[in-house]
Amino acid sequence: MSDPLLEVEGLEKFFGGITALDGATFDVDPGITGLIGPNGAGKSTAFDCITGFLDPDGGSVRFRGEDITGNRPSAIANEGVVRTFQIPHELPEMTVRENLALAPREQSGEALVASWTRSDDYYADERRAQERAVEAAERFEIDHVLDTPAGELSGGQRKLLELARALLTEPDLVLLDEPLAGVNPTLEEKILDHIQALAAEGYSFLFIEHDIDVIMEHCQEVIVMHQGSVLTRGDPEAVRTDDRVVEAYLGGEAE
Amino acid sequence: MALADFLVSLLTVVSVYTLFGLGLNIKYGFTGLVDFGHVLYFLTGAYVTVVVTLPAAATGYEGIGGFALPQLFAGVPLGGLFAWLAAIAVAMVAAAVLSLLVGVPTLRLREDYLAITALGVATILHTVVNDERWLFNGPFGVRDVHQPLTGAFPVSLGSFLVNLAVFGLISVVVLAYVGYRVGGYVYGVDVRAAALATAAAALVVAGLGVATLGGTLVLAGVVVAAVGVALLARSIRRADGYGQPVALFTALVFAAWYFGTPLVTTGPSGTLASAVWLFDPTAGSSGGITYGRFVLLVSAAFVGVAYWWCERTVNSPYGRVLRSIREDEDVPEALGKETFRYKVQSMMFGSALAAAAGGLWATHIAFIDPSQFTANITFFAFTAVIIGGAANNKGVVVGTFVFWTLHTGTRFLNDFFPTEYATQLAALRVMLIGVLLMVILYYRSEGLLGEQHYDTGVAADGGEASE
Repeated sequence: MSDPLLEVEGLEKFFGGITALDGATFDVDPGITGLIGPNGAGKSTAFDCITGFLDPDGGSVRFRGEDITGNRPSAIANEGVVRTFQIPHELPEMTVRENLALAPREQSGEALVASWTRSDDYYADERRAQERAVEAAERFEIDHVLDTPAGELSGGQRKLLELARALLTEPDLVLLDEPLAGVNPTLEEKILDHIQALAAEGYSFLFIEHDIDVIMEHCQEVIVMHQGSVLTRGDPEAVRTDDRVVEAYLGGEAE
Repeated sequence: MALADFLVSLLTVVSVYTLFGLGLNIKYGFTGLVDFGHVLYFLTGAYVTVVVTLPAAATGYEGIGGFALPQLFAGVPLGGLFAWLAAIAVAMVAAAVLSLLVGVPTLRLREDYLAITALGVATILHTVVNDERWLFNGPFGVRDVHQPLTGAFPVSLGSFLVNLAVFGLISVVVLAYVGYRVGGYVYGVDVRAAALATAAAALVVAGLGVATLGGTLVLAGVVVAAVGVALLARSIRRADGYGQPVALFTALVFAAWYFGTPLVTTGPSGTLASAVWLFDPTAGSSGGITYGRFVLLVSAAFVGVAYWWCERTVNSPYGRVLRSIREDEDVPEALGKETFRYKVQSMMFGSALAAAAGGLWATHIAFIDPSQFTANITFFAFTAVIIGGAANNKGVVVGTFVFWTLHTGTRFLNDFFPTEYATQLAALRVMLIGVLLMVILYYRSEGLLGEQHYDTGVAADGGEASE
């Protein structure tokens, strides 16, 4: 195993009297890591704290050895940690093409004065962004809706758009918050194939998923959270046979 | 005359508020920032422009300033104008800085909280300006507003016919150009071709008109007319479908009108003709471009530049980030765009445009006091932007025109009712606008024009060439 990409240590988050994260500690290595746990285990809160959308009340987050705790989400994204949202956050009034072209980082035309002066860099970067948007749309098979407002997409297409957009930032680690929720089995297979193919290209993933079978089949590592902290961590087979996991799930899933 | 002067005044007000609305549209339409304090920057622009150009010892003025900028430019040709432009630039910078100070704490809030806070800050600062005489003379306002080049007007070219030909031509060409830029296809008819054909017809008749003056003007007139004919032919050729007959028809109607109206300028219908010309043809050789018309032209030029500037800003990757903030701020932030910086910039840019509008307003109205800058100015602009279509720069022009024409044009209703109803009528006119807004929101919530289309200047997919 190489050095961990992400090191989360003693992460704490309280909402009023509720403890959402209670000293969660885990490492994420390159590859595909699954994050499971019953509802309310603190998985999404952990995502929010890692990516800067929430300020943790305690603990630290390190990426490639660098402390990113409490940084702005955009700063963390620029370090190479990009997230998707549980409910797809498409930009409804903008076309799929615009949704995708927004994503590439460090576009010179994104500065106010550069948008007025329009040097050669402006055109070069924008042409590149447009090309990459089309490539990504083709790869994720949403190229037939490129000029459709994203608000008119189907649920599955939104999931694909969300994934494609995150990848266009060329991240090192992608945090996927339930990328398979509400997706039909055919599309689920497709999204998992994409994730596997992308992992083979060198992207790393940390993803929240409820379906144990999916986790067992696709993840090299599994982190199990329960009541705001990490219950156990290991390879899928070890986790599956861990009594505490079974208990937490049986206890937690009685909704 | 009254009608022509009224029209000039109305169009000036429309220009000023279009500029103001373009600034609001950057904030609200494109970035989604509900700035209910937008009028604050209008006020800032007006006061800074006036105070910077105010003579050192203005009678009855006890506020700060009197920086007498025009006097510094005294020896320079057109110095008064340059001083005034410099004052507008200072006002724009001042408003941008003020919006930065207001924005840094408030822009961390979202939507309705931002709206409430912005309204609160603007109201507080308005009250300060109104109550503190040492600042900008409080409720007594500022007179002695510097009006650049005011001594040079009215400009006349010496004869009625030449005035008619030259100024009429200029105004028509400008209007046609605006029509050409702003127009697109309306119900399948190419508005641009019609506008172009009309301008071409103006060239033809103006050229022929000048040629009849004889002497050396014959050749010039004929050349102008020939250019007009060529342009007319070209514009009609480029129109398609119904566009050709429409373009031809507009051009013919225009030509008949252009020839016809001077013939009736001396009669009772003279007011109509003078409204058409936006200058005073009945005043004979002394009639020409009055100062009010000059201010209108300058305001229109400001709108033109600001429109171009806003278009350039929103049709870019920068504009794309602004809109993504409006749609869902978390997305650009998650993708690595520092949204707070964009929101601050959007505030500063929009406020600077509002300040330029304030400077023009002061120049137009020649006297400012705090009562001109109450919160309803902000809401007028919101109404205009929503009527025309938020996130549409053309929509701001259309919406502002509709709004102020309704608001000010209905003043003529007073003539048909006894004077004791004046107050009720004024209230009724505001109600009319409210009804219009509700009708539009109900039947066409995206506004008359809806959101505009965007083009970053790069062909999107290689095959489809951009405009």
